[in-house]
Amino acid sequence: MLKINNLFANVDNGNKQIIHDLSLHIPAGEVHAVMGPNGAGKSTLSYVLTGKPGYEVTAGDVLLSGESLLDLSPEERASKGMFLSFQYPIEIPGVPTMTFLKTALNAQRRANGLDEMGAPEFLKKSRALAADLKIKPEMLKRPLNVGFSGGEKKRMEIFQMMMLEPDFILMDETDSGLDVDALRIVAEGVNKLREPKRGILIITHYQRLLDYIVPDKVHVLSNGRIAASGDAEFAKKLEAEGYDAYA
Amino acid sequence: MMPTHNINLFPTRRDENWKYSDLRSSLNQISKGIESINEPFFTLPDGLTTEEVGCECASLKNISSVLAENYCHKAWKIDVPESFESDQPLVISNLNCGHSQIIININKGGKLSLVEYHESQSNSFINTNIIINIMDKGELDRIIFHDDTHETVRISSAIINSESDTRITQNAISFGGALSRIETIITANGENLNATINGAYLLSESRHCDMTSNIDLLKPNCYIRQLVKGVVKDKSNGVFQGKFHVHRPAQFTDAEMRHDALMLSDTSKIRSKPELEIYADDVACAHGNTIGQLDEDVLFYLRQRSIPLSEAEAMLTEAFVSDVFYSLKDNHLKENILTKIRGRL
Repeated sequence: MLKINNLFANVDNGNKQIIHDLSLHIPAGEVHAVMGPNGAGKSTLSYVLTGKPGYEVTAGDVLLSGESLLDLSPEERASKGMFLSFQYPIEIPGVPTMTFLKTALNAQRRANGLDEMGAPEFLKKSRALAADLKIKPEMLKRPLNVGFSGGEKKRMEIFQMMMLEPDFILMDETDSGLDVDALRIVAEGVNKLREPKRGILIITHYQRLLDYIVPDKVHVLSNGRIAASGDAEFAKKLEAEGYDAYA
Repeated sequence: MMPTHNINLFPTRRDENWKYSDLRSSLNQISKGIESINEPFFTLPDGLTTEEVGCECASLKNISSVLAENYCHKAWKIDVPESFESDQPLVISNLNCGHSQIIININKGGKLSLVEYHESQSNSFINTNIIINIMDKGELDRIIFHDDTHETVRISSAIINSESDTRITQNAISFGGALSRIETIITANGENLNATINGAYLLSESRHCDMTSNIDLLKPNCYIRQLVKGVVKDKSNGVFQGKFHVHRPAQFTDAEMRHDALMLSDTSKIRSKPELEIYADDVACAHGNTIGQLDEDVLFYLRQRSIPLSEAEAMLTEAFVSDVFYSLKDNHLKENILTKIRGRL
């Protein structure tokens, strides 16, 4: 599903080489986790995959279902099915959550040649999913993320994920700032999205999210490349022993 | 077609108050209107009439009133009776070529909704000089729609004199012109003026808009809130000049002025000059001024949700501008303004 082949990428107008010959393959239907020390390139990887301006790929390729993403704009990659759950979700004053989400959903549908979703269907779907995630209806009328706690913002990312139904989900440290209850709700939402046609890559510092979303594979990202890989138990070993062995 | 007489009546950028809006130079490309008279069109609520009178020499003059006195041989007067109230607004339109003066007297306790369309389809010069006198307990709710061609030069001026216990709300939306000046001069001759003066300008291509205001507070206990937001792109040019003049007797004044502008291109310009001149010592006065660009991180977040860049920019720009009109009570007019804004983004 997602193939990263020998990727090299830098940031800061080429002054900082962050990703250094990184290769990774996440088949459809699998959940992989990427862990690693601070500064290893984890967030950079998520920005490079999603096409954030300011990040330059100098070699290698990224293929989603066989199609190269690197020449596509961020919105084109999103329409092809790439979704990033942000580590620091953005606040958008003046733009109600529902307005934003309906615009996003219909932009995605238009890009894929589908008719836009009508208001009644959208309302019905959004209310049901919001209730599952224990998001109060009033929050959906408020400007996106404005005044929301960290946990509420992360739940809002999962809510968007469930509404947009992407083919590939990238979760960038979604668990940071979550209490135990919020963690469980987030994990339940993600686990509902696990299916044979969807791939998920979880970027995390801490092992505890992986108790709730059990990965098929765990990788260590160190010095801009995958330094080691293992199964779900490997995450517990990393938690206990740290990353020194892979520096 | 420059004026054959009285060229000196038209200010240049050497005039401090017009330094960001060189009116005289802008007239070089104008084909009509500089020395002609405009006949406004009035849609009157039941109970109001217009009367043609001689031109009024305002005690307080600005360029607009000087030009009107010089070129107009008549003015239109509307008297709003005491305690008048109507759910129909007074609408003024056909302000599309030449000079005109309109005098509106709101008598004691009268309430007037005023909607003005300042629109022209040609490279004309228009000068609209409106004088509004509000007696005790009078209320004015004024909406200004301004949308000209990129060749039109316009001055739209309101000189508002208010007595005690009056309320003024003003909302202006401008899409600019070759040169446009929307000027509001308010003199609070009495206590307890409650004024909300809001405006927004959205400019593209090489358009210009200058929102200039001067509020003179002569008596105590006035409450003023001013919020102006601007969006400029391409090579357009936005100007904000705002002044609160708090005279010594105007104790307990509570006045806030704010101007925020968004630049969507590197070739656009914003000139902003907020001023507070305060002589009373027990007042709360503040001004704020910001100029910035759309947040790149926010744009990326929207694009990462499949929203194309142009749509993301439009969404954020609309959100930026719309809150100027958040408190507008007339939902129909509010929606009218928001629809015009969306159409231009």
